Amino acid sequence: MASSNLPRRIIKETQRLLSEPAPGISASPSEDNMRYFNVMILGPTQSPYEGGVFKLELFLPEEYPMAAPKVRFLTKIYHPNIDKLGRICLDILKDKWSPALQIRTVLLSIQALLSAPNPDDPLSENIAKHWKTSEAEAVETAKEWTRLYASGA
Amino acid sequence: MDSEDDMHDANDVESLDDDFYSGETEDIPMDYYSDYDDDADDYFDDGDESDKPESRRSEQNFIILRESDIRQRQGEDISKVATVLFISPEAASILLRHYNWNVSEVHEAWFANEENVRRTVGLPEKPVVQFPNARELTCGICFETYPCSRIKSAACGHPFCISCWEGYIGTAINDGPGCLMLRCPEPSCAAAVGQDMIDQLASVEDKHKYSRYLLRSYIEDNKKTKWCPAPGCEYAVTFDAGSGNYDVSCLCSYCFCWNCTEEAHRPVDCGTVAKWILKNSAESENMNWILANSKPCPKCKRPIEKNQGCMHMTCTPPCKFEFCWLCLGAWSDHGERTGGFYACNRYEAAKQEGVYDEAERRREMAKNSLERYTHYYERWASNQLSRQKALADLHQMQTVHLEKLSDTQCQPESQLKFITDAWLQIVECRRVLKWTYAYGFYLPEHEHAKKQFFEYLQGEAESGLERLHQCAEKELQQYLNADGPSKEFNDFRTKLAGLTSVTKNYFENLVRALENGLSDVDSNGATSSKATSSKNAAGSSSKGRGGRGKGSTRTGGSNKMTDDNV
Ligand SMILES: [Zn+2]
Ligand SMILES: [Zn+2]
Ligand SMILES: [Zn+2]
Ligand SMILES: [Zn+2]
Ligand SMILES: [Zn+2]
Ligand SMILES: [Zn+2]
Repeated sequence: MASSNLPRRIIKETQRLLSEPAPGISASPSEDNMRYFNVMILGPTQSPYEGGVFKLELFLPEEYPMAAPKVRFLTKIYHPNIDKLGRICLDILKDKWSPALQIRTVLLSIQALLSAPNPDDPLSENIAKHWKTSEAEAVETAKEWTRLYASGA
Repeated sequence: MDSEDDMHDANDVESLDDDFYSGETEDIPMDYYSDYDDDADDYFDDGDESDKPESRRSEQNFIILRESDIRQRQGEDISKVATVLFISPEAASILLRHYNWNVSEVHEAWFANEENVRRTVGLPEKPVVQFPNARELTCGICFETYPCSRIKSAACGHPFCISCWEGYIGTAINDGPGCLMLRCPEPSCAAAVGQDMIDQLASVEDKHKYSRYLLRSYIEDNKKTKWCPAPGCEYAVTFDAGSGNYDVSCLCSYCFCWNCTEEAHRPVDCGTVAKWILKNSAESENMNWILANSKPCPKCKRPIEKNQGCMHMTCTPPCKFEFCWLCLGAWSDHGERTGGFYACNRYEAAKQEGVYDEAERRREMAKNSLERYTHYYERWASNQLSRQKALADLHQMQTVHLEKLSDTQCQPESQLKFITDAWLQIVECRRVLKWTYAYGFYLPEHEHAKKQFFEYLQGEAESGLERLHQCAEKELQQYLNADGPSKEFNDFRTKLAGLTSVTKNYFENLVRALENGLSDVDSNGATSSKATSSKNAAGSSSKGRGGRGKGSTRTGGSNKMTDDNV
C-alpha cells in the first residue's frame, strides 16, 4: 500500500515507534500493508511471563483513530484476560477508546496487563477460575506456558 | 383507599339494592330511568364532593405532550437551571441530563457542593491547559499543527483540530444516545462536550439525531414522563402520582396504565394483570391443553385431539379406528351392554374402584384447571374483540352516520350526542368487563361470599351492557336506514340515554366494589343474599347467572372443551 494514502497521523506514529521504541516493546509495520504491525512484547520482570517474548499483530482499521486498533496475541499465553485465540479483554480497546490514545499507549497497556492479570473481568472463564481458586498453581502454569511457547525463537 | 371511601361504597350498594334492584322488571318503563337518575343524584349530593364518581373521573392527573410541548418544557427547565445557577444553557442541559431532568435535584446538588458536581459532570470552571500566546497548536488526534482558528476545545482547553472534532462527534452520535454524555477526547480528561460544540461541528443529519436523543432522554430518563406505548404514537405523558388512579388516555385514543404501561385495566391491579398476561402467553398452558385433550389412538398410536363433548372418537384416515375416549376400548364393544352409547360403564366402574391409572387422573386434573382458565379466557378475549368492534362502530358513527342521521331525522348533530355517549360508554364498559374476567380467575374459590357478590355485580353490569349494546347496535339501525324522520326517534333517544346512564351506574358499582377488594361482603353479608334474589333484567342475555355458566350471547361463545361426562 502506498504510504501517500496513509493519514499523516499514522505515518508520524510509525516514525516515532521506530525511532523511540518503548522499553520492552517493538512494533514495525508490514512491508505490504502500512496499517498492519508486527509487535513483540517482552514479558515484564517479576511476572509469570518474565523471560518470554510474545508476538502480537496489530491492525489499524479504516476509521482509526476514531475507532480503536485491533490487537491479538499470536503467541500462546496463559492469562485470564486473554483467550485461546489471543483476543484481549482491555477497556481501551473497546468502549474506553479515545482517538487521543495511540498505538504506543495501547501496547503499554497490554504490557501492564501482563504484570497485573485481572481475573475479575475475565475473557477466559477457566483460567480466571484457576487464578482465583489457586493463584500459585495458575502462576506456575503461566510460567510453564511461557517456557514452552514464548522462549524466543 | 381511605376508610371514608369504603363507608360510602357500603352505603351505596345498600341504597341501590333497596331502591333499584328490587324493583327491577323485564319491561322497564322509560320514565323509570329518569327517576333512577334523580335518586342517584340525590344520593351523591349527600356525600363528600370528592367521592362522587363524576369528580373522581374528571380529576385528571396527567397531561399528554406533543413533540412541541416536550421541547418547550425541556427548554423551560434548561433556562430555569441556567438562570438560577448562572451557567450557560448548554451546561444546564448537561447537568439536567446527568440528574435525569430533575430540576430541584440539580439545584440541591449544586448548592450542596458545586465543586464536586462540576467535577463529576465535567464542567470545569476554567481550562486545565492554556496556551495564551500560541498562534499555532498541535491537534491531539492527528498530530498536525494548525493556526489557533482551526483548533477547538471543550471547557478544559485540550486542543483538537476541527476535522478531528468532526470525526469524533460524528462517531459518537452514530454510536447511539451515549453521545449525550460525550467527554473530551483526551483520555485523562472528563470535560463534557455540550450541544454548543455539537451545533458547530456536527453534520446536519447528526445534529438532528442528537436533538432526537436529547428529546428522548427528556422523556425516558425522567421519572415523571413516559411515551405512550401505543405502536406508532409519538405523544408522551407526564403524570402526577398520588391519586392512586393510574389510567391515562392518550390523544391517540389509546388508554393505558401509567404504572405498568399495559392497556388500561382499572379496576384490576397491575399485579393481577401481569400474572394474567403471563398466563396467557405461557407455553405451559399449551402443554396442559395437549395433556388434557389428546390421547394416542389405541390402534395406530398417533395423538388424537378431543374437540367435542362426545366420547365416541374416530381416528383420522387412514386409520379411522373408532374407540372410546374414556377407556380407549373399541367403540364396537360399547352399546346397550355397557350402559348406552354415550356412557362407558367400564370407566365409571373403574373410577369408583379407584383403579383408573395415574395418567388418567393427571389428565382429569389438568382438564379441570384448563376448563376453568378457558372459561375466563374466552370471556376476556371476546370482550376484547367486542370492544374493538365497538371502537370501529363509534368511529363509523362519528365519521359517517351521524351526519346522515342529522339529515333524515331533521335534528342538529348536537342533538345526537347521546349516540356518541352511548358508544363511548360501551367501549369503556367492554374494557372494564374484560378485566373483571381476569379478576374473577384469580378470586380464590374458597371465598364463597366474595365470589357470589362479585358474580352478582359482574352479571348485573354485563346484562346492562348487553341491553345497551343491543340498543345502540340493532335498534339504531332502523333510523339509520330510514328515509325520513320517525315519530319514535325521541322515544329511542330516551331509551338509549337511559340505558347509557343505568349501565354507567352498574359499572361504577362494579369498579368501586373491586377496587375495595369486595370488602363490603365482610361488613354486609346481606348483599349476597339479595344478589341471588335479583332478577335478570337483560332481555338479550338470559344465560344462567351463577358460577361459570355466566356469559352472554355476545361475549360468551361455546366452550369447546366442555365435556359433560354423561
Ligand atoms: Zn479535555
Ligand atoms: Zn486533528
Ligand atoms: Zn398515544
Ligand atoms: Zn397497571
Ligand atoms: Zn388411529
Ligand atoms: Zn369406554
